[in-house]
Amino acid sequence: MMKRLHNTGKAFLLAWLCMLCIAARANEPPKATAATVAPEKSISGKVTGDGEALPGASVVVKGTAIGATTDSEGSFKLSVPDDATTIVVSYIGYVSQEISIGSQTVFNVLLIADVATLGDIVVVGYGVQKKSDLTGAIASVKGDELAQLPTQRVDQALQGRAAGVMVLNQSGAPGGNTTIRIRGSSSILGGNQPLIVIDGLQGGDLNSLNPNDVESMEVLKDASATAIYGSQGANGVILVTTKKGKKGHPVVNYSYNLGVQHLRRKLDVMNAGDFARSINDFKASQDQPGNVVITPTPVFTPDQIAGYDKNAGTDWQNEIYRSAAMQNHQLSVSGGGENVQYLVSGGYLNQQGILINSAFKRFSLRANVNVDITKWASFGLSWAGIKETGNTPPFGEGAAIIDPLGQVVSVAPRWDATIPVYDENGNYSKHPSGYGEPNMWNPVASANEAFTENNSIRNNINAFLDFKIAKGLTLRVTGGAITRNQDNFRYFNRNTFAGFQKNGLGQVDDAMYTRYQNSNILTYDKSVGRHHFVITAVAEQQVEQTKASSILANDFLVDRAGIFDLGGASTVTATSSNMKRVINSFLGRLNYSFADKYLLTASYRADGSSVFGQNNKWGYFPSASVAWRISEEGFLQDVDAVTDLKLRASWGVTGNQAISPYASLSQIISNSDTRYPYNGGGATDIGFDIARAANPNLKWESTTQTDIGLDLGLFNGRLNLTADYYVKTTDDLLLSRQLPTYTGFPNIIDNVGSTRNKGIELSIGGDPVVGPLRWNTSFNISGNRSKVLKLSDANKLPFRTTPGAGYGISTNANTALLYLQEGQPFGQMTGWITEGTWGEGDRDKAAAFGQLPGDIKYKDQNGDGLINNKDLTVIGNAFPKFIFGWNNRFSFKNFDLSFLIQGVQGNDLFNLGRVRLERPGEGTSSSLLSRWTPDNQDTSVPAFTKQSERKAAGLTNKVTVGDNRVSRWVEDASYIRLKNITLAYSFPQVLTRKVGMNKLRLYVSAQNLFTITKYTGYDPEVSSFNTNDANIGVDFASYPTSKVYSMGIDLTF
Amino acid sequence: MNNMKSLKKYIAPLLLTGVLACQSLDEDPKGFTTPDNFYATIQQGEAALTSSMNDLWNAWAPGYSYGYGNFIYDDQLLDGDMVIPNDFGSSLWDQHYKALNNVNGVLRAIKKGNFKGVDQSEIDGLEAQAKFLRGYNYFALVRLFGDLPLITEDTPDPVTNPIKERTPIATIYDLIVSDFEFAITSLPASWDGQPGKPTAGAAKGLLTKVYLTMATAPLNKTENYAKARDLAAELMADGTYSLIENVEDVFKPENKYGPEVMWGFNSTSDDPATDAHIWTPGVMDGWGDASLDPTWTDEWLKTTEPRQDAYLILEFDGIPYTDFDEQRPFVKKFTVPYISQEEYENGQTTANLPIIRYADVLLMYAEAANMANGGPTPEAYEAVNQIRRRAYNLPLNTPSATSDLAAGLSKEEFDDAVIDERNHELSFEYDRWFDIIRKRLLIKLNTVNHPDYLPNITDDDYLYPIPTYDAKILGSQNPGYTGE
Repeated sequence: MMKRLHNTGKAFLLAWLCMLCIAARANEPPKATAATVAPEKSISGKVTGDGEALPGASVVVKGTAIGATTDSEGSFKLSVPDDATTIVVSYIGYVSQEISIGSQTVFNVLLIADVATLGDIVVVGYGVQKKSDLTGAIASVKGDELAQLPTQRVDQALQGRAAGVMVLNQSGAPGGNTTIRIRGSSSILGGNQPLIVIDGLQGGDLNSLNPNDVESMEVLKDASATAIYGSQGANGVILVTTKKGKKGHPVVNYSYNLGVQHLRRKLDVMNAGDFARSINDFKASQDQPGNVVITPTPVFTPDQIAGYDKNAGTDWQNEIYRSAAMQNHQLSVSGGGENVQYLVSGGYLNQQGILINSAFKRFSLRANVNVDITKWASFGLSWAGIKETGNTPPFGEGAAIIDPLGQVVSVAPRWDATIPVYDENGNYSKHPSGYGEPNMWNPVASANEAFTENNSIRNNINAFLDFKIAKGLTLRVTGGAITRNQDNFRYFNRNTFAGFQKNGLGQVDDAMYTRYQNSNILTYDKSVGRHHFVITAVAEQQVEQTKASSILANDFLVDRAGIFDLGGASTVTATSSNMKRVINSFLGRLNYSFADKYLLTASYRADGSSVFGQNNKWGYFPSASVAWRISEEGFLQDVDAVTDLKLRASWGVTGNQAISPYASLSQIISNSDTRYPYNGGGATDIGFDIARAANPNLKWESTTQTDIGLDLGLFNGRLNLTADYYVKTTDDLLLSRQLPTYTGFPNIIDNVGSTRNKGIELSIGGDPVVGPLRWNTSFNISGNRSKVLKLSDANKLPFRTTPGAGYGISTNANTALLYLQEGQPFGQMTGWITEGTWGEGDRDKAAAFGQLPGDIKYKDQNGDGLINNKDLTVIGNAFPKFIFGWNNRFSFKNFDLSFLIQGVQGNDLFNLGRVRLERPGEGTSSSLLSRWTPDNQDTSVPAFTKQSERKAAGLTNKVTVGDNRVSRWVEDASYIRLKNITLAYSFPQVLTRKVGMNKLRLYVSAQNLFTITKYTGYDPEVSSFNTNDANIGVDFASYPTSKVYSMGIDLTF
Repeated sequence: MNNMKSLKKYIAPLLLTGVLACQSLDEDPKGFTTPDNFYATIQQGEAALTSSMNDLWNAWAPGYSYGYGNFIYDDQLLDGDMVIPNDFGSSLWDQHYKALNNVNGVLRAIKKGNFKGVDQSEIDGLEAQAKFLRGYNYFALVRLFGDLPLITEDTPDPVTNPIKERTPIATIYDLIVSDFEFAITSLPASWDGQPGKPTAGAAKGLLTKVYLTMATAPLNKTENYAKARDLAAELMADGTYSLIENVEDVFKPENKYGPEVMWGFNSTSDDPATDAHIWTPGVMDGWGDASLDPTWTDEWLKTTEPRQDAYLILEFDGIPYTDFDEQRPFVKKFTVPYISQEEYENGQTTANLPIIRYADVLLMYAEAANMANGGPTPEAYEAVNQIRRRAYNLPLNTPSATSDLAAGLSKEEFDDAVIDERNHELSFEYDRWFDIIRKRLLIKLNTVNHPDYLPNITDDDYLYPIPTYDAKILGSQNPGYTGE
């Protein structure tokens, strides 16, 4: 019975064609209603809401088509039949009012804002629910909440908004990536990024979404909410609903934001004079002990140093960082008639980066159209097109083809102030020899001379047909597609490190990603007495494909044409690939409530996925949850303070389809390592090697989650509280498992491990102050504890970080900094504990370890008198104990002030950059100035002890510390940050009307205005190695976060 | 309004197509090679065999070089105090089984009828190469490790169906013999323009060695001496292979593919490229890693045969080895002058490492004929004497008192003489350890050379340990080793 894709395609095409002609008819003007012959009387009045006149409100005689809309003053005039009894006054966003006419002829209608109903509906997977009916843990963020605080990106806007949601900016680069974790990390190889569903279309992308288009975001956290997404739900789900047009006059909205970004803080480095002295002092300590002590010649002469003292030298951070402008235009038009509603919105973001030669632009356009075809059929189409283009010089791990010596961010502070940017000939200066790392490349050259251009074009198309088949029975058929074309160009000319090594190095990457989804959703909604059922049944299919190619070229004879003339390269390597994933799903859900008091949700999903092994093509994901609305019970009815009180409990199983296509198949590869001169000719012969075993049993990672929650609303919704406790256990975790080598393979990826996350979440919100001054506030805090329950063969799994040579962080798996260990949490760092330096008073104790005062004091963990591998212990953890956010909005008359404070508590960062910034004889860090001397003994920076002095002490060294995994570099990365603060003024409508505007709002805003942290790097919110969550927690060469000041304007016509 | 009402007609079809038009969940990868979309042509089959030889290269010959580390317990190489640790030799186990996986892949495909539209004789040629290689792989494994997990094209996937027991040595040999017999009948005498590929002659040579090994320890099935003798005799009568007359020319590049060398590890200057500095002394800028045991070299150097100069570095630029920093001779077979100075300096080894060569066939004949007959025959004498004459650079077919073995040796004396001859002629070709274990020579050799090792020696040392994890899965380990 399985039909091929093109058959489905044909069927859809047919359906769409047929719909188009219907839609065309639907646009015909409605036939005029028959004129009334009854005698009439005239009524008039004014409609106001929140103290403002409401233009465009509708006033209709109940039960007829007779009506009018209010003018720009909110006034209306209307002839009504004599026998008319009631008028209905309505306006979007307000509660409609019915007013009996009687003998009255002038009506002053005061409408009440319908905030409650707007907030009451929550989008859930494959449907919507009344908030009061929810049985699962869902956090909702409304679009207008986001709109209060100007932001460029939806993913970043989510930070601090929802309990249990950790958003981590991996770097501050414009267009850079974020890591989003909902309720911790459970997968090691599989990835922990939540599923993004935009208007029902799965596999979306938050960072390319225009924040202005967001109507609401729902974060599905517990299994009751996510199990409906089955094998893709284990990391939580974020549902985004975009804005739709509403019936009424066209509304034109324009907003503009202009900002300027600054480096949040600079690393504290020495000026030229101090640096030169520090180098000389270190050099002097490198004397050669012997019968005659040979003292080395100083690197810098006193004359030079005197010169440096007059002129502080080059501030390399100033050379590569700048204040950068950012502007954002938004224009939208929305409206609609009886049958057609539309919203068209466009956005243009142009962001310069604070790092020179970095920038990001985004053009986005969205059209959402809904059409009522008949009383029982409607359709909608939404299309979003996004073009992004960005460039950033190489930094951090992402710059894979760049040697660390040619990276900008890590190298710039390491170049000392004595070196000018350009030499006397106007060329980029080279690092002098005689100290430090002479091969390190000029960072201004690395930044300015690298050509990068990353282009992407995305199209998200989603269409649906809704049928009301019978009372309570509806069918929605959706068809959607996401396409993404990516073209990246990089060229490194001979003025860059990589280009110098390779005589010009270019890379072109092309990728085309397509994703199709068809969901058929049948919903039956039925009430019988006090019983209420909603049954949802869905059949769905998804096809995802990525085709990619990459060309790497070097040895260019002509350096100039570079990337756009790869033919000019002597060496060209090309690769290409094609991956496809198919998911077929069937799912069902039952929502049942009795007397609005007892609520039950049960769901079941079956997912068949092509990436699963032959023996496990189908996975099954059940969930069940119950809730008790205690506030509906009789005994609480009389307690006025309690508006809402609900207890929730849920259980369910979700999966993580963390398997790349073909991973369950055996793979045969051919490369330079499989060649051999088998034939015995002059050349080698191509060999094809079975490199990987088939695993027909390979399947999804399975997460079982239990959640207990409480929702409490007090004082008529003035105070709301939500609390949740959860336990998430992930089994069948994908890990490499050892095989007996007689199979021909050393290992295989298999479902072997297990992890657990437990946590609590608390949100409190409300309106403590109402009246002319209003204060709306919400606070959320959550804590997650993870534990690795089971790994595969060894109970310890190393993860490698690769900063490049010279950092003393080994790439050898046995001496890794980051380990996962059975019984231990994620993010654990292993190393030696240092306890500052030995003081003079400890001379004897130091001598026992063969150390002198001024040397680093290591903790002898096992007390055996030696410092060696046996003293390795846990020195830090990358995951926070708590994360929190506090969101506030004060409004008084036409002013409103909003701010968001956000923070994390109890996490550590390994500040890898410091290893070389503070290395004697090369480092530029000012901390070297506070190194140990007899006069400055309370310091963690060791002394420049003379070799001759050390020799004379005649001590036997007992310290065997082979690398830099020491707690000296581990810093507390807790922070509290004023993420965003905005002060806005809205002009009174009385004034704006005069220039034909409904709304005019001006604001000033700042992001990252202040941060309280002990962390000494550029920013505590960073993660440089993101291949998997076991690598989080190392700060190395990441693009620094900036501080942004901006001002803007919002206009509505 | 009619067409709107008729829309209802579409609901059912839409629902049905949506529900029923599921996509196939079977993966049909493009741009990704799996055993299911491979092995369609002879070239693809041979590419799998090519890769299998590369696997072996990684164990035996990371440059004919560090591979020697797997054989330090013989008497030729320095070190090896006869305390064999767990997991010793595991790279040989790993890589031979990896090679077998690639070879079995080809045989499985042939059995499944993958090579559609290909001439049967070509398929037979491919099958014969695969069986030749499988025979060679199991022959190496069974001698080193004893009872083995036996995996053929018919074995259910051992990844999903772990093998819990080892197959006895004798059964492994049955497969080896039948594989080589198939190879002998189906392989050509030579491949036009492809001198490195296995031939019928190489198969015969290896099968001779198989029979000879079966006749000795641990099976001691002496009826195989006659089979070895007869098979070697066939090769000698055949005339395809012959001794290179001058001992200095045996390893010259022009003789890489015959007439003496029958089959071995091939190499070219580009890949697999390895570094010959490993074999050479510091005075040649070498690393001197592959050091020879002085007690072994001293014994050999008591003779005056020119062969020493051909196979050993005894002097460099007029400096005798006694004046080397290491004060020892080094191995010459795989370095200059058998590769060019330029290749040497570039770190390339272009010398082949023979696995079977005609000199070996003659010596196997001598040994087998003597043992089958209960004493040396004239033909046996002649075979070993040809090798000895060449060692002295004397005419091969003219008897000489300088070189020839003394007449009238007993069966045992003659056998010792042949094994001694193998010790020198085939030195550093990774053959000595196999002679030591099949002739059970450890006590005898160490009594002379290293009496200090004697307390460490037991019969358990004639087998290497099964790699620990594999032993755990298989449920058994070789005696004398822990870590099952």
